[in-house]
Amino acid sequence: MEGFATALTPVNLLYALVGVTLGTLVGVLPGIGPAMTVALLLPITFTVPPASAFIMFAGIYYGGMYGGSTTSILLNTPGESSSMITALEGNKMAKRGRAAQALATAAIGSFVAGTIATGLLVVAAPLVVDFAISFGPEDYFALAVLAFTAVSSVLSRSVVRGLASLGIGLVIGLVGIDQQTGQARLTLGVPQLLDGIDVVIVAVGLFALGEVLYVASRLRHGEPEVVPVGRAFLGRSDWSRSWRPWLRGTALGFPFGALPGGGAEIPTFLSYSIEKRLARGVAREEYGKGAIEGVAGPEAANNASAAGTLVPLLTLGLPTSATAAILLAAFQQYGLQPGPQLFDHNPALVWGMVASLFIGNTMLLVLNLPLAPLWARVLHVPRPYLYAGIVLFAALGVYALNSSWVELVILYILGMLGFAMRRFGLPVAPAVIGMILGPMAEIQLRRALAIGAGDVTVLVRSPIAAVLLVVALLVLAVPLVRKLVARPSHAG
Amino acid sequence: MYSTEEPTGATDRGAGPAHSWRRPELVLALIVLGLGVFVIAGTADVSTAGSSLGLGPRFFPVIVGSALLLIGLFYVIDVVRGGHGDPEESEDVDAGARPDWRTVALVSVIFLAFAGLLDLLGWIIAGALLFFGLSVVLGATRRLQAGVIAVVLSTVTYLAFVKGLGVTLPAGLLSGVI
Repeated sequence: MEGFATALTPVNLLYALVGVTLGTLVGVLPGIGPAMTVALLLPITFTVPPASAFIMFAGIYYGGMYGGSTTSILLNTPGESSSMITALEGNKMAKRGRAAQALATAAIGSFVAGTIATGLLVVAAPLVVDFAISFGPEDYFALAVLAFTAVSSVLSRSVVRGLASLGIGLVIGLVGIDQQTGQARLTLGVPQLLDGIDVVIVAVGLFALGEVLYVASRLRHGEPEVVPVGRAFLGRSDWSRSWRPWLRGTALGFPFGALPGGGAEIPTFLSYSIEKRLARGVAREEYGKGAIEGVAGPEAANNASAAGTLVPLLTLGLPTSATAAILLAAFQQYGLQPGPQLFDHNPALVWGMVASLFIGNTMLLVLNLPLAPLWARVLHVPRPYLYAGIVLFAALGVYALNSSWVELVILYILGMLGFAMRRFGLPVAPAVIGMILGPMAEIQLRRALAIGAGDVTVLVRSPIAAVLLVVALLVLAVPLVRKLVARPSHAG
Repeated sequence: MYSTEEPTGATDRGAGPAHSWRRPELVLALIVLGLGVFVIAGTADVSTAGSSLGLGPRFFPVIVGSALLLIGLFYVIDVVRGGHGDPEESEDVDAGARPDWRTVALVSVIFLAFAGLLDLLGWIIAGALLFFGLSVVLGATRRLQAGVIAVVLSTVTYLAFVKGLGVTLPAGLLSGVI
């Protein structure tokens, strides 16, 4: 409750409003997903006090999520994977002249799911904190390993490509001075690399510049087809068809968001297929041609998973998605390390941020129903200006860090890497998570082994760590098993 | 032909007789393999003194490097055997189009020139040139409009970030004017 006292001051309300508006605006822009939205807007918060910055971030995070769904409904080209499912039914609804209803069920569904899921976050976070307070270094190391394997194997169709991306991220994380001994590693004699490569450079390089270079290599020519829309609203029958999918989507999204490697892809897809199976009457006929259930469910799942992601992030310092990894970096920028201690040392900040999630959610609803036509117009931004602008802001954000042109060159190299990864289907998220979580995993591993006096079995002595490591291995095997099971049926 | 997607500047060591050895993705797989070598070799000179347990600053890099060698090997095998990832889909990407390396090269040149000249020219001039250059390369046909937007955007960001948010950006040639 005291969180609302922090969040409800006029200044912080203003920050929340700015965050929500910027987040939606940038999120609506084609080619920009939630992770890139947060990375690009990170520099704006450099000079803001921590509590206000995180309140703004909460707004940017939810706003970016919401903006993505507007894009996929009005412009039928799947962008970020989390709102890909929304495009399936959403764009067909829009083409049939029901764009207003599709946007409204997405907005209200996001609000309902976001509010319930944030409520669940409030309940779940203290429980996880109580549980995690006894975690030793070996448990944290095992947790990081699980996050690594889960994100590599779930987000990519090919495990080896997911792991390759993870490895690239781990190497980037190694660059710089070793935190325990002060030795420089992999710096190639470049003084700017001694402090390591800042996560803003990595995120902006892999996401923003990588995307621009990729788009430049095969730009779609000709005007994109944007469905025109008026004010978003729902009719009576739309309400009655939407509320159950909203709740089911929330129930799916929250737990998956909280799991390592869960993300938004799986719950949105599950929600889509469950709604399809449960569809009766009109809905059954409409499915595949623009059924409102197919928008309401996945959108709710998407937003609920966004709140779910915050549970491991805040309580364990464990990012389960690329966006969460960047949020973690934002915490580190202020010298804060999310984890059980954060709740003890900085309750005002944590609960202020959580409270602002509720507030941001409400603001999004109020903003987005009437503003839908405006967001639709944003989609018409001429693409040359859009991508030139992305590069300009990417450069601004990176230069603002240390005023160093060397870092702009590093940004370019990472952009090229991001381009190559996109081109060849390497998921970017494992690299970002590996880069952020790698140094933490190293510290915990060395700490655990130092406690065990070099005895490797110390890593599995705690039952929690042992279970987590086994699960981490199993997760890697899942796609292999799937392939083996699928093969006979292909032959037959 | 595909040397532009190659961040480290190495040549295509994978070129060989068999058809599958000429796949561009092989370069990326070899980079992953090469990163493993780089990590192990690059930390060889890091002193392990300071820890009696052998858990010095090389411990974790050696694990990561070995893992990368293994992953890189599997990746190379996968590519040579004909495996391939799905190119990412995006709103403005025409997945069927032939890669346009000229545009990628031009974008690269403009960006690197911007990086090199930023401190000299200052944010407003360099930023405007960056935006103008990129938008023309990416297909903006109305040059005057692009130029006006470029100047307005770089000036507004300079004023907003430097005067408003206290972020440091170089004034460069215009340091006396603004």
